Amino acid sequence: MTRYAKFVIPALLLAGVLVVLMVNLSSALVYFNTPTELLAREASDERLRLGGRVVPGSVDERDGLVAFSVQDCDAAVEVIHAGVPPQLFQEGIGVVVEGAWTGEAFQSDTMLVKHDEQYRTDAEDYNETDHACTEA
Amino acid sequence: MTPREQTIERPTSVWPWITMGVAGTVTFIASMAVGPDAVQGQLSRIMYVHVPAAWLAYLAFFVTMAASAMYLWRKDLAWDRRAASSAEIGVVFTGLAIGLGMIWAKPTWGVWWTWDARLTLTAIMFFVYLGYLALRRTTTDLNARAKRSAILGVLAVVQVPLVHFSVVWWRTLHQPPTLLKPEPIDMDTSMLVTLGIAVVSFTVMYVAMMFKRIELARLEDEITEMQQTADVPIAGEAVTAPALERGA
Repeated sequence: MTRYAKFVIPALLLAGVLVVLMVNLSSALVYFNTPTELLAREASDERLRLGGRVVPGSVDERDGLVAFSVQDCDAAVEVIHAGVPPQLFQEGIGVVVEGAWTGEAFQSDTMLVKHDEQYRTDAEDYNETDHACTEA
Repeated sequence: MTPREQTIERPTSVWPWITMGVAGTVTFIASMAVGPDAVQGQLSRIMYVHVPAAWLAYLAFFVTMAASAMYLWRKDLAWDRRAASSAEIGVVFTGLAIGLGMIWAKPTWGVWWTWDARLTLTAIMFFVYLGYLALRRTTTDLNARAKRSAILGVLAVVQVPLVHFSVVWWRTLHQPPTLLKPEPIDMDTSMLVTLGIAVVSFTVMYVAMMFKRIELARLEDEITEMQQTADVPIAGEAVTAPALERGA
């Protein structure tokens, strides 16, 4: 093995990693759309992710469907979710839903709960105002 | 011909084992004593092992980078052993952070795994450092091995800030950091103290593991050197040279 190859092998390995990053991660870098971004889109069958905070008082469960709104700082979108939400699902928590945008509501079949970086032993100590708009 | 008798010292230090046991016990007691999070409940206790495991991975890979750079500068195999030992511990704790994170993710997010930027980059970092360990097995020449892996050890560390700040730079499912950020920490003091105890305990554990692993690495290198310098019959010893100048 030449001196040259000793540098080339690690460099190639690293370049390979970077290529994998660029190709596969470009879509993963933006994990979900905000309600504002979704409202700017045309209705389509394309599978998307929508993330935001569950608007307090908007949750309505019936017939195996859960309807609620998610919001960012500027807009809110109605979500109709088919399925059982994760156990931490509640008003005010962050969620990421997967499905299609019909132009009026977001039809979702997969829901992930996105908890934030706050940890409090007492629910009263949760800092809501600071975090309502930092979901994205 | 019999190879000459060679013996190596057995590792006898006991304090690293005791230290690891004490640090583990302290972490366990502290994380069980603190109150649960109001939203996540008992699940929040996973934080006290997940966060320190991730921290140790960062620390270990930084030490690997520093020791690798020292090797390239000084060409002393002791630095190579430090770099390799730290990388191995780093891989273990990256795996642990991923595993514990998955156990935490299933009941909170609702899935074991998802390809957001934080998780994807952490998985890549895990495999790159596994590659570092594999690279060390591509030759038995200690100096060649040290040089190759030192170069990768220095280059690969760029992934650490990439992993840590992925949750700030890109939109991810994983929440942003609670610690190691410029803004004030949104956490109860009791929880912060517990997390501090856990991080310090894990760091102490790392020091003990490093000591033990470096000790082992030194013995491994000694054995390799013995094997390479042992008295073995030289090639061609059994063959007698043909008499070329018969009758001369």
